[in-house]
Amino acid sequence: MTTFIARRLLFALVLLAAVSLFTYLLFALLPTDPAALTCGKNCKPELIAANRVRLGYDKPIYEQYFQFVRGIFAGRTYGTGDIAFTCPAPSLGYSFNQHECVSTLIAKTFPVTAFLSLGAFILWMLLGVGTGTLAALHRGKWQDRLTSVITSIGVSLPTFYVGLLVLFSVVIWLQWLPFPHYASPTENLHDFLTAMILPWITLAVLSAASYTRITRNGVLEAMNEDFVRFGVAKGLKNRTVIRKYVLRAALIPIVTIAGLDFAALLGGAIVTESVFSLPGMGRLAIRSVTDSDLPVLVGTTLVAAVFIVMANTIVDIIYGILDPRVRLK
Amino acid sequence: MKRRIIGLLGLALSASLIASACGSDSSSSPDTAATNDTLAIPGTDSSTPTAGGTIHILSQLEQVTHLDPQRNYTGSDLAFVGSTMQRALTSYAYAPGSAGSQLVGDLATDTGTPTEGGKVWSFTLRGGATYEDGSEVTCADIAYGTSRVFATDIIVDGPTYAISYLDIPQDAEGNSNYPGPYTATADQQALFDKAVSCSEDGKTITFTLSRIVADFNYTVTLLAFSPVPKAKDTGEKYDMAPVSSGPYKIESYEPGKSLVLVRNENWSKASDPIRNAYADSFVYEFALDPAVIDERLMADAGDDQYAVGDGGLQPENLQTVFTDDRFKDRRQDDYDPYVSFTAFNVKTVSCVEVRRAVYLGLDREALRTAGGGPYTGDFADGFVKPALADDYAPSKLPEGLNTDGTPNIEAAKAALAEAKTKCPDVYAKATVEGLKFFHPDTPIWQKLVSIWIESLKAVGIVIKPTAVEPSKYYPTVQNDETDYDISRGAWGPDWPNASTMIPELFLTTGGFNLTRNGDDPAYKQFETDTKAALNELDRKAQGKKWQALNQFLVDQLWSIPGTFTKAQDLWGSKVGNAYRWSSSGSFLFGELYVKQ
Repeated sequence: MTTFIARRLLFALVLLAAVSLFTYLLFALLPTDPAALTCGKNCKPELIAANRVRLGYDKPIYEQYFQFVRGIFAGRTYGTGDIAFTCPAPSLGYSFNQHECVSTLIAKTFPVTAFLSLGAFILWMLLGVGTGTLAALHRGKWQDRLTSVITSIGVSLPTFYVGLLVLFSVVIWLQWLPFPHYASPTENLHDFLTAMILPWITLAVLSAASYTRITRNGVLEAMNEDFVRFGVAKGLKNRTVIRKYVLRAALIPIVTIAGLDFAALLGGAIVTESVFSLPGMGRLAIRSVTDSDLPVLVGTTLVAAVFIVMANTIVDIIYGILDPRVRLK
Repeated sequence: MKRRIIGLLGLALSASLIASACGSDSSSSPDTAATNDTLAIPGTDSSTPTAGGTIHILSQLEQVTHLDPQRNYTGSDLAFVGSTMQRALTSYAYAPGSAGSQLVGDLATDTGTPTEGGKVWSFTLRGGATYEDGSEVTCADIAYGTSRVFATDIIVDGPTYAISYLDIPQDAEGNSNYPGPYTATADQQALFDKAVSCSEDGKTITFTLSRIVADFNYTVTLLAFSPVPKAKDTGEKYDMAPVSSGPYKIESYEPGKSLVLVRNENWSKASDPIRNAYADSFVYEFALDPAVIDERLMADAGDDQYAVGDGGLQPENLQTVFTDDRFKDRRQDDYDPYVSFTAFNVKTVSCVEVRRAVYLGLDREALRTAGGGPYTGDFADGFVKPALADDYAPSKLPEGLNTDGTPNIEAAKAALAEAKTKCPDVYAKATVEGLKFFHPDTPIWQKLVSIWIESLKAVGIVIKPTAVEPSKYYPTVQNDETDYDISRGAWGPDWPNASTMIPELFLTTGGFNLTRNGDDPAYKQFETDTKAALNELDRKAQGKKWQALNQFLVDQLWSIPGTFTKAQDLWGSKVGNAYRWSSSGSFLFGELYVKQ
């Protein structure tokens, strides 16, 4: 088992190195000139050339990549003299648009995304698994049909539409809540909750629709398994059979998918954060695209990739623990 | 010089640039309470401004583009930062309507004294101005602030008039020999100190220019000439926490979230006759969805009653806002500072008859409709907007041009027939080979270019479109190697004088000349006349010269006038002084007040 875990972790590291290289190469191949972006609209060719040298963009791409990797472990200094400044390790570069080290920007925005993801995740799991189980247990009845209709609507609605609809109706038209102004929960719990409740609901409602369907199918499948029929034949109570036999079997694939979805969300819920003006990593990423802020673009992409790779690795390891056959492959 | 408009149309800097008056009158504090003359101006009413409260500014942007005074350039940012935190040598009167273009002293006691025909400008400092830490604003600070403009690798995005105008030697490639204060040697610093000097008593600052600049006192309204205390300068990072010399200072600033300004207790009204600083604080809310901003302003509830937007209304809400009487006292639809145009490459389209045929045959009304209809603007009759009252006069447009923007096919064909005789090569290019039209590769331009092709096909002119990736469009068409016949652009003046329009767009040394008109037979005369206008110290006489030059440009058609663009705004019901400040084309944020 130890060998298996070590192998998976090593593979994850190699994968992350490959992702970082690939992301950096994409960055280098983009048509935008990062040197031109650092000197605004009054750029002359000589100034662009000087800035290219100052920032190391004049060097071959492999050298730039190694400089970037070195910055992750050793930090990087920009400028000279009294106005020089350093982005300490782990440095992912510096944003001349936002006047901040990329790692600092990510450190500022990640908690917002993490709180958003965690709250939405808990809500959608409770909602999705609950209604999915209910629909399966009432297969063919009105509860099942109603769930089917609602989930069809939920799956087909785009996030920005639901987000704006919720925001307009609850905040602007009905004025049940003040306009959300995000604050960290340690600073101001009230502002945190009023800023988060609608984004949580928006994300949860949309994701719960898919999870309801997956849970319903999983529960129905599990109910036809021999071990469930055996439990029923033993005379166990229905509730016990559902909780201990059916749900446990049905939830294994759901947990796997949920883990990956959660990891993806940690990379940034771009639309939700934009609609609700949450200063999270998704909005940081989308801003980097619109501003052609390439260091931030690379940084956010890399961090998002780290979450995905980590989630995959954890799932692999859990599978290895649960199913020994996986370890032998 | 710099284009302030490129790529920004539609982002909503708004309003008109109206009359400007030059002179050396002592500054005065305009009475910002509405008078009978100003009541008709949207955003003004009979209420008396009162102190207190918080004004909210709703923005889709992630931050104020630049708080660093030397990097601050766009109209809205200049109005916001200039009216709240950064003072300059001169400013425009804080008043609605045309009065808002009147030049007045700010840190200076008056609007400056030119000598040597406008080659040397001196400004006497008012004294008593202080920074937020209570220390005095000095002449040396103004000189130091100006010197930062030369550090072009760090102080980016701001106007570079200091580099263009100051009498500092340049190398063979035209770069200044002074690299800015961060890296200058003692000898290099001496070059700057010679061009910008303070009197021994520190009460007068003198700028020695490399040539006559008749309206240099307008130039120093730009915050690029604002003071920066050297000991507090943090270079690139100064943008996040500049030291305030105005009535407000930063309490907190989180890009992507908010900027909160509170009163600067060390600012003294006695030292600042311009600013009134009614509100106690400002909250700039960033990163809001534009649809959300509009809905909040329309709903007008809670704190949004004290709010203005900084980006104009979304097109889908214009009909509602401008037809519903609920909004009649808190909306405006007016010119912004910009003029759009289509530029010919005069080297390849050297025949004025062909250029006229294009103008006459183009379906400008269809283009405007596709772009958003009348809310986008009025058909321009030249390159100077009526808002520049001293410099504008209605132009005599080519005979046969339909004023409603529809094409006049017959007149266009007649012009083309003339071209066939007078300039057969260009005629053949236009009708057989085709005119290469470079346009940004955006969905709207895909639509517009098809209107170009179809409407000119009826005349017999062939248009060959080339789509250019939007972020590369202007670098592409500004590159002399690029082989285009037609390109497009838009431009707004940097101050209320056509001196920042006509020379920029049509002199070969201009910052945004897309016409390559240097070899045109008419160019020499144009250049001579333009330089004469630039050197004219009498503002009225200068205006007459710009009017004549504007007509000359309409006759030559090196570019086709497009639209005098417009923008629309809505604001909360309890916001006072929500007029468009004519000199910036935006709200004069620092003068907004909370209605009791």
